[in-house]
Amino acid sequence: MAISRFSKRFGATCVIAAFAVAWWQASARGLVSGFLLPTPQTVLLTGWELVGDGTLAAHVAVSIVRIVAGYLIATALALPLAFLFGISPAAQRAFEPVLEFLRQIPPLAMMPLLILWLGIGETQKIGIIVLACFFPIFLGALGGIAQCDPKLVEVGRACALSRGSILRRIVLPAALPAIVIGLRIALGQGWRALVGAELVASAAGLGYMIVDAEQLARTDIIIVGIFVIGGLGLLADFGMRRLIARTAPWLRERTEITHA
Amino acid sequence: MLEVRGLSKHYKVSDRDVVALADVDLMLAPGSFTVVVGRSGCGKSTLLRLLAGLVAPTTGDIRHADGHRPTIGCVFQEPRLMPWLSVAGNAGFGLVGKVAKAEIASRVAAALALVGLTDFRDAYPDQLSGGMASRVGLARALVLEPDLLLLDEPFAALDAFTRRGLQAELTDIWLARRPTVVFVTHDVEEAVLLADQVVHMDGGRIIGRRPVPLARPRDATDQALVTLRRAILDDLAGDPSQAATRHPSSDQRVFQQETVP
Ligand SMILES: Nc1ncnc2c1ncn2[C@@H]1O[C@H](COP(=O)(O)OP(=O)(O)OP(=O)(O)O)[C@@H](O)[C@H]1O
Ligand SMILES: [Mg+2]
Repeated sequence: MAISRFSKRFGATCVIAAFAVAWWQASARGLVSGFLLPTPQTVLLTGWELVGDGTLAAHVAVSIVRIVAGYLIATALALPLAFLFGISPAAQRAFEPVLEFLRQIPPLAMMPLLILWLGIGETQKIGIIVLACFFPIFLGALGGIAQCDPKLVEVGRACALSRGSILRRIVLPAALPAIVIGLRIALGQGWRALVGAELVASAAGLGYMIVDAEQLARTDIIIVGIFVIGGLGLLADFGMRRLIARTAPWLRERTEITHA
Repeated sequence: MLEVRGLSKHYKVSDRDVVALADVDLMLAPGSFTVVVGRSGCGKSTLLRLLAGLVAPTTGDIRHADGHRPTIGCVFQEPRLMPWLSVAGNAGFGLVGKVAKAEIASRVAAALALVGLTDFRDAYPDQLSGGMASRVGLARALVLEPDLLLLDEPFAALDAFTRRGLQAELTDIWLARRPTVVFVTHDVEEAVLLADQVVHMDGGRIIGRRPVPLARPRDATDQALVTLRRAILDDLAGDPSQAATRHPSSDQRVFQQETVP
């Protein structure tokens, strides 16, 4: 039986509403202390204030600039490297052990070193994002290149295309679904790593906003921050999917992440 | 003139040496139409892949008349379309970057009209039927206006009517531009309708050649054609006792597929 779009949405709406009501009731009836869990109204009001005085926008802007910079740098490093490995098995064999080792290290574990090397400024935050985004993009692209159907490459050779043209016109588009999945996963990983980095050592950004609120025991600000972080993550992913659907309609069904 | 001498191709399949092609000699006059028939696995596709320069021969060589590689159009046994390109994009694939855009558009439009897919020019491969996809593969080779056209069972996925139509179109193109054609098929009627000469392969070797000296356009019910077709079928079936010793394990697919009226 087909489930209509409406009833799918309806289910999701019910779950969200149930959460909101449970939260509201729990705090309004004093089941949990208002200090630990402020009411939805308080959180909304605080959110409104933070929007009004520009605090929220300032923190969001700082975080977004960092994620965009780190994400672009990671992409610029990971994609060419993946293609180099894709066409040169020798390069792949040489670098694989080192990369495999580096891949095991969570970006946040590199924080102390990065802080010592790069200080606690923007460079270090962007460095963390680059580390977090690199591997999903790199491995996605590498996997995509490896999966390219050799029979399609043969079509290129039959049409007397050069190696470069085969790479650009066959291997790249064939790898695109995997590349796009890598890019989507990387965006989520990068965002999480950024907030983590801002929690540890920062003077601005959404992560900073919530640790700073912790110092002041402002649970309402923390919750606003958490909602904004989650919301922006969803928004970025949604934007990415729209972009894919617009620019590469044949990818729509092949780039949904089932186990991200 | 395309001259093939002592051509062979060996493959290693799980430590076993498979001889896909063994010592093939073949002369293709410019503008000739050669049809290759033979049982499944006898090396027909391998021969085409070697002629196309897609794989290197184990021994022997392929010489082109003026020494350099002619423009080659390949129709593979499978459609092999790029799933990210529309029908038009796939048809024009081999021309991009080689001729002007307007020229690509007009050649693609003509080729798609020829294979009857004008209405599907903007469709994507996963929206096509098997036969439609194979026709896009044919269009992709035709737009190149090749000097050497290699077709591997191009009409196998088509219904009898579409096939008849495309056989006529292919004959017209061949008569108009005179490319050298090598055409693989399991359909003996198709072979005698199209060919100048029918080449019979078995076990990686060419074991028979029959010229087809019939005037065109040809009619499948013409007596001379029917006689020739029966003769080729007999070639393919071989003497049953002989066939059993020559390929004890191979199937009798070609024989069973064809029923002589
Ligand atoms: N890439 C390959 N690697 C290993 N063996 C191969 C390869 N290509 C072909 N062969 C072998 O070569 C032989 C001939 O194959 P080929 O594809 O040329 O047959 P065919 O005459 O085209 O058959 P069909 O009519 O079924 O298409 C087969 O035994 C096959 O297993
Ligand atoms: Mg074959």
